[in-house]
Amino acid sequence: MALTLSAPPPRWLEDLSSGPVTTKTKQSFPDPLGYQVASRQQKSSSNKTVAHPRKQPTADEMDTLKLKKAWELALAPAKQLPMNAIGMYMTGNSLQIFSIMMVFMLFKGPIQAVLNIQNTFQRLETDTNRQQMLAVKAAFVGCNLLALALGIWKVNGMGLLPTTRSDWLAWESAREPLERAYFVPT
Amino acid sequence: MRASNRANAHIMLSTLLTAASLFLVPALAVFADEAWNVDYHFALLGAPKEETSFFHQPNPSSRASLIYTLSEQHALGAVNPRDGSLVWRQLLSSDGVAYRTSFLRAGEGQDVVISGIGHEVAAWSAADGRLVWTLSTDGPLEDVEILELSDGKETAGAKDAVALSSGANPTVQRIDGASGAVKWQFNIDGSDAPYQLSASSTQIFAILLHKTILGYVKLRVVVLDPVTGHKVDEYSLNSENELSTTENIVSVGANSASPMIAWTDSLYTTLKVNVVGTKSIQSFDIAAHDDSPIEHVKVHAPYHVNSLSHFLVHYQTAASHWADVFHINLKNGKVEKAYSLPKLAGRGAFSTSTSDANVYFTRVTRDEITTVSSASHGVLGRWSLNTFGVAAGIGEQVEPIHAASEVSVKGDTVSAIRTTILLSTGDWVMLRDGKGIWNRPEMLASTMVVTFALPADAATLVQQLEVEAHSNPVAAYIHRVQRHLSDLQRLPSIIVSLPQQIVKGFLGTSADDLTASDTFGFRQIIVCATRGGRLVALDAGSPDKIVWNVNVADLQPGQSREPFLASRIAGVVEVSSRAGAGIQYNATNGQPLAERLPVVPEGPQVPSSQVVLYTMHDGTLEASFNRTPAWAFTPMHGERIIDMVPRPVNDPVASIGKVLGDRRVLYKYLDSNIALLVTAQDSMGTANVYVLSTVSGAIIYSNVHTGVDLTIPIASIMSENWFAYSFTNEASDEASKGHQLVVGELFESLVPDDRGMMGATTNFSGMQTATEPFALTQTYQIPEVISKLAVTRTRQGITSRQLLAVLPDSNGIVGIPYGAVDPRRPVNRDPTKDEQAEGLVRYTAVLEFDPKWFLNHQREIVGVKNVFTSPALIESTSLVFAYGLDIFGTRLSPSFSFDILGKDFNKLQMLATVAALAVATFIVAPLVMRKQVDQRWRFL
Repeated sequence: MALTLSAPPPRWLEDLSSGPVTTKTKQSFPDPLGYQVASRQQKSSSNKTVAHPRKQPTADEMDTLKLKKAWELALAPAKQLPMNAIGMYMTGNSLQIFSIMMVFMLFKGPIQAVLNIQNTFQRLETDTNRQQMLAVKAAFVGCNLLALALGIWKVNGMGLLPTTRSDWLAWESAREPLERAYFVPT
Repeated sequence: MRASNRANAHIMLSTLLTAASLFLVPALAVFADEAWNVDYHFALLGAPKEETSFFHQPNPSSRASLIYTLSEQHALGAVNPRDGSLVWRQLLSSDGVAYRTSFLRAGEGQDVVISGIGHEVAAWSAADGRLVWTLSTDGPLEDVEILELSDGKETAGAKDAVALSSGANPTVQRIDGASGAVKWQFNIDGSDAPYQLSASSTQIFAILLHKTILGYVKLRVVVLDPVTGHKVDEYSLNSENELSTTENIVSVGANSASPMIAWTDSLYTTLKVNVVGTKSIQSFDIAAHDDSPIEHVKVHAPYHVNSLSHFLVHYQTAASHWADVFHINLKNGKVEKAYSLPKLAGRGAFSTSTSDANVYFTRVTRDEITTVSSASHGVLGRWSLNTFGVAAGIGEQVEPIHAASEVSVKGDTVSAIRTTILLSTGDWVMLRDGKGIWNRPEMLASTMVVTFALPADAATLVQQLEVEAHSNPVAAYIHRVQRHLSDLQRLPSIIVSLPQQIVKGFLGTSADDLTASDTFGFRQIIVCATRGGRLVALDAGSPDKIVWNVNVADLQPGQSREPFLASRIAGVVEVSSRAGAGIQYNATNGQPLAERLPVVPEGPQVPSSQVVLYTMHDGTLEASFNRTPAWAFTPMHGERIIDMVPRPVNDPVASIGKVLGDRRVLYKYLDSNIALLVTAQDSMGTANVYVLSTVSGAIIYSNVHTGVDLTIPIASIMSENWFAYSFTNEASDEASKGHQLVVGELFESLVPDDRGMMGATTNFSGMQTATEPFALTQTYQIPEVISKLAVTRTRQGITSRQLLAVLPDSNGIVGIPYGAVDPRRPVNRDPTKDEQAEGLVRYTAVLEFDPKWFLNHQREIVGVKNVFTSPALIESTSLVFAYGLDIFGTRLSPSFSFDILGKDFNKLQMLATVAALAVATFIVAPLVMRKQVDQRWRFL
């Protein structure tokens, strides 16, 4: 223990505490606009008026902010919808690897988002705004459902939904005749 | 493609396959790498007849000769004696008319052969079979001979022919050999039946049969001058009380130095010989050599004017044969017996060959060939035969029936001999110096019915597995262990063949790996029942040789042969005929089974009380139900039933509906008990087409075609829910003469998604519920006559169908994809997008046969009477076997081979790719590993 005390601090600790050495004298060209060397900043701050310390928002304000952020999150999938719709339209209805992958992503995204809904809104949820958050979550689920609907529309367009008679044809069987007639050659 | 994908992208496998088959239809063809490989063809002539088979030099300046024959199937052809290949062939009777007699003559040193059949005398270029001239006679031909005149006026040109025809006014005609014009004609007066012609070098003799009051036959000879055609002389031979039928006339010699007539009494005790031109008759006693009576007596005489006037009489009994050689003294017309050939067991065949003036007789028996000169009995050449090298039943003695020889003699020995022999198995073989050179399976030309059967070894495995499935688990386990232990016996042979198989597996494709195992079901045994009463089996996988060939025991000679063949148990072929009950044969080796195996009926099990049996009886169709008459279809007055095609008993259908472009369904009218019936009304020239319900006898569809040429065959077929038939309509004011193909499809309802009256009921009785299908039909104008229609069959009916049409005029078989004749093709408008998705194209009235549809590609398939199809074990493929005169077989994949790798699949390339990837992985793996470790240790 004694040894460690007497030993000089490690190099990295020195580097960390001292910061880069600014050699003002060697600089012949001005700093870029808005660049402040830390030491100078300290100097100026001590020289000039004391900067206002950031006022901590109140809990109410915080709630409002969080709610605002939450709404933003909730409506984000809806904003992607037109983009997705155009993408889906462009890929066409043929069964190709590209369109199949796009459709897969289209399904995967909303379902994953809905499953992770608690994680998404955990940071923004407080005891006080729980009521409002319900609406936000509902909107989020709704938007994702819209995206899902787009996916279903696309899959239907590709003819992958068993909605018509022909899709169930294999389960229909021919009628069995009760009698059989055989030709007997003479 | 996009739209069609959209329409047909289904999650169900079967529907996917159907859809896949749908797109592929238009491109269907015979592929270049499959042609000549998967198909096989025997260009046959039919059983050659003794009198019309001979060696002849087609080019007088060259020594090379061909074998010419006019067969029992009326096919005239030349066969190369070197390899047995067909040089040329002409079918003289395509319409199946059986003529009693036919003649084929070749004059010495002539480059034409002259045939006579029916009413037609024709000359054919001997080298290439082109028609030189043809002449029709008024009456049916009785004989055709070539005039070999030695009056010093012989020219290098074509020799003339003489024809004798019977009928209302029997005539003898001399026909110019070069042009076919009649040089003179002699009308025979009297009511005597013309029998044969005979010509010496100076005279023509017409031999007539005169019936005496007592019912005997008297021979009347009319002697004609060959130059003018005038009657020179006429006399009758004293043959009364001996000749009761013409069958006892043994021979009427033709173009020999001294033609003669020989006959026997009905018991074969004396032989009477008359040298034509004289009135004296000499008789010779026929000594009985053994207990069995003589079956027939044959005379073999040389056929050349300038050869020695010797002849050989061949006596045949059931057990043995012998022969006597006679010489004719030209000066006084005396016939003398020169020597005898000893009795030998079994059948014998004699042939006559000439070399300059010398005459040689070649005798073929079961085990040797001997050649003697006609002058003395010294044997000039002897070759022993071990075997004829043909497949025959076990214990069956292969006997020669008749032979033709070409002998070349050096000094006192025969230096080379070529003999073609028709064997009792029906094979036509060629022996050179007693060694088999080739054999032609001519018995297949008279195939009447065929069936496909699984080989017995494959079938036993199936049976063993069934035993295991139906016993308790412990017993099944013991059974299986025992089976595997017995399989171990084959291990050494498998190990030996393993390296070869591996190499083959690497280099070959799955499609040509046929010899090792038959997982695809291509190696089925094709069993043909021939008119001669034999069963002949071919292997569809390796069709080059006959697998087995047995005589059918229950068929006696002379019986009307209408055999039925079936293979209702795997590995077993059952043959039955009107004459007798069925006999079962092992399909692999042709052995008759010792005990009858119970026959499980095909198709769904129906209690026997619910079976309607119907049969064709006196031109009406009669059905019985529980032994009481159920219904009858009697054609109207003047109407006759041409053809009746029931839907096949075993006709699997994968999908009960047709998927439309918009994914709705048109339901097919699927009734196992329907039959297509075609009748003709000759007086009005109409053809009626009916679809009958064979349970109730109700007509569920009918159509009438007027102005039909009923002399041309009407082919018809029924399968699944559709039928097709073709006919030829007469030229009329509205339409020109043309051939038409009509395709009709039956639906439960024409409204999509509607299952018709009965809805979704699972069963129905054809007797109680009368349903009527909705039919769509479409007519196509086709370029030529179709003589027979058939349809491909696959195991589950998923693969799309191909309509196989036999084209007798172009000697081919065409495989028309069903999509090309679909009756739902839109008429007078372009198809909508949905219809395009279904693969429907706009209807065009003319259906051209795409050259790619021809299954025979460059082959010429002559005289096909029927086409038999059978499913292979894999769904994509149907086996096709066409028979008639020629034998043709192939494998068809109407929707392409979607379940088997084709020849175009490059196995080597695939293996190389895999190997390259493996190597790349091994090289790259350590690099990647190092990079990943390095990355861990790197700061930011």
